Amino acid sequence: MPVLVVSSIATFLTVLLVVAERYLVNYGECSIDINDGDKELKVQGGDSLLSSLTGEKIFIPSACGGRGTCGYCKVTVLEGGGPLLPTETPFLTRKEIAEDMRLSCQVKIRQDMRIAIPQELLAVKEYACRCSEIVDLTHDIKLFRFELVEPDAIDFVAGQYVQLFTPVYFRGGEEVYRAYSIASDVSEKGMLELIIRLVPCGICTTYCFEHLKAGDEVLLNGPYGEFCLSETDAPMIFVAGASGMAPIRSILCDMRNTQNRRKATYYFGANKVNELFMLDEMRQFEEKLADFKFVPVAASPGKDEQWDGEVGLVTEVVERGLKNASECEAYLCGSPGMIEACRKLLVKMGMGEDKIYFDSFE
Amino acid sequence: MKQSPEMDNLEAVLRSSKLVAGGFLGSDRRSVCEIIEEDRRRLDNAGVGCKELAGRMREITDAAKRQLGGCVKVSDRLEAWVEEAKGVLVCPWPHSGGILKRITTVRNVETGETVTWSDLNIHLIEEHGFFEGKGSAMRLEPGEIVKMIC
Repeated sequence: MPVLVVSSIATFLTVLLVVAERYLVNYGECSIDINDGDKELKVQGGDSLLSSLTGEKIFIPSACGGRGTCGYCKVTVLEGGGPLLPTETPFLTRKEIAEDMRLSCQVKIRQDMRIAIPQELLAVKEYACRCSEIVDLTHDIKLFRFELVEPDAIDFVAGQYVQLFTPVYFRGGEEVYRAYSIASDVSEKGMLELIIRLVPCGICTTYCFEHLKAGDEVLLNGPYGEFCLSETDAPMIFVAGASGMAPIRSILCDMRNTQNRRKATYYFGANKVNELFMLDEMRQFEEKLADFKFVPVAASPGKDEQWDGEVGLVTEVVERGLKNASECEAYLCGSPGMIEACRKLLVKMGMGEDKIYFDSFE
Repeated sequence: MKQSPEMDNLEAVLRSSKLVAGGFLGSDRRSVCEIIEEDRRRLDNAGVGCKELAGRMREITDAAKRQLGGCVKVSDRLEAWVEEAKGVLVCPWPHSGGILKRITTVRNVETGETVTWSDLNIHLIEEHGFFEGKGSAMRLEPGEIVKMIC
């Protein structure tokens, strides 16, 4: 009984503090200095750093809508962030803590602040879009086409990604953002295409596959990411599986548009033949690009599937086909397991770690 | 069964869809403590401990993940494969670390019966003795999974 009384009092006091802070405490107007004067914001104190930045159209990647469960929304807080909170420490390494990294969803604005964020995040915008088409690619992969409404055009670099906003679509649900690579051509500025694979119980993919319809309005923000072609002339290999096709397709479109003459081989792997997609479109790049070869790979074709292409794990086919790994660069996109297996193989074959590019989204 | 305030908070997270679509408890109205206790009894009846079961699940997942989505034979009667997605899942219990979004499916080639688990399921069983609530999409029945893979 005493335990119950103490718990009740503690809960009451906690609620009282939260309510008091929310409605009674006035922190007034606070300033946020970003990147040593690059941008200065005036915001009302009391909200989280993440929501205040979002309110000012500065989008920090975050998958959980600011609830402190994803650990993505890290920014450097140089002054005014207050002490590190227990809700942040699980998501920060010792090095990040030493570098003043914080979870922006957990940091409350109570005074003037000085923060640092990657310069490219200042260029990120939110886009109101309309889903114009949904195309089945395999049994669990779809292509989603979005027409941009406001703003009506986007600039991005082939290989970058956007975050798709998922509204609450069932009782007890939460708003979340999820990152997806852009699959479309950089030159088509009025639309974006995403290739999305259904994740069992995935909040965003379930929304996309079961609720989102052509004609619906959606919100995207971006672009983000540094997964894009280097400016060298080194021969390249692309290795992708499933929805990892997306950024490679965008890069190939860009190579075609810019008449890029670099030698490139694209290994695209799946388990069954019916899990491979966009094969005709990829083969057309062999005609349109100066020195490009497309190698689709099926790990274990079904007995009823006709297949005269490469058979085996995509890593096995890369090992068989790649003769000059030490001279090449590799661009990997797919599951974390595939990326790790490819990375190990390529290093073993003599490729420098710094020549292997991937976007794991982890 | 009475729960501590911490368990009440945890149950609220488990019932919500904050971390996974549909939450971890499905349509199960029992408390988290009741679910864990009853599943522990079932596992005891099957003669296996949580750590032992989780170890066997991880062994199968590790064998399957080397096939990068392809099928691997894990015993005379079982084959398995994994599907991975980008990103991490967070354990609903308050501790650090993210868990890869990886789903393992095991199929009995004689009966065609399948069982599916995530890396988060392995962690939840190993560290928290939690098999999820009835009606949850990733609920595992202790007796069934032991019969299938142990």
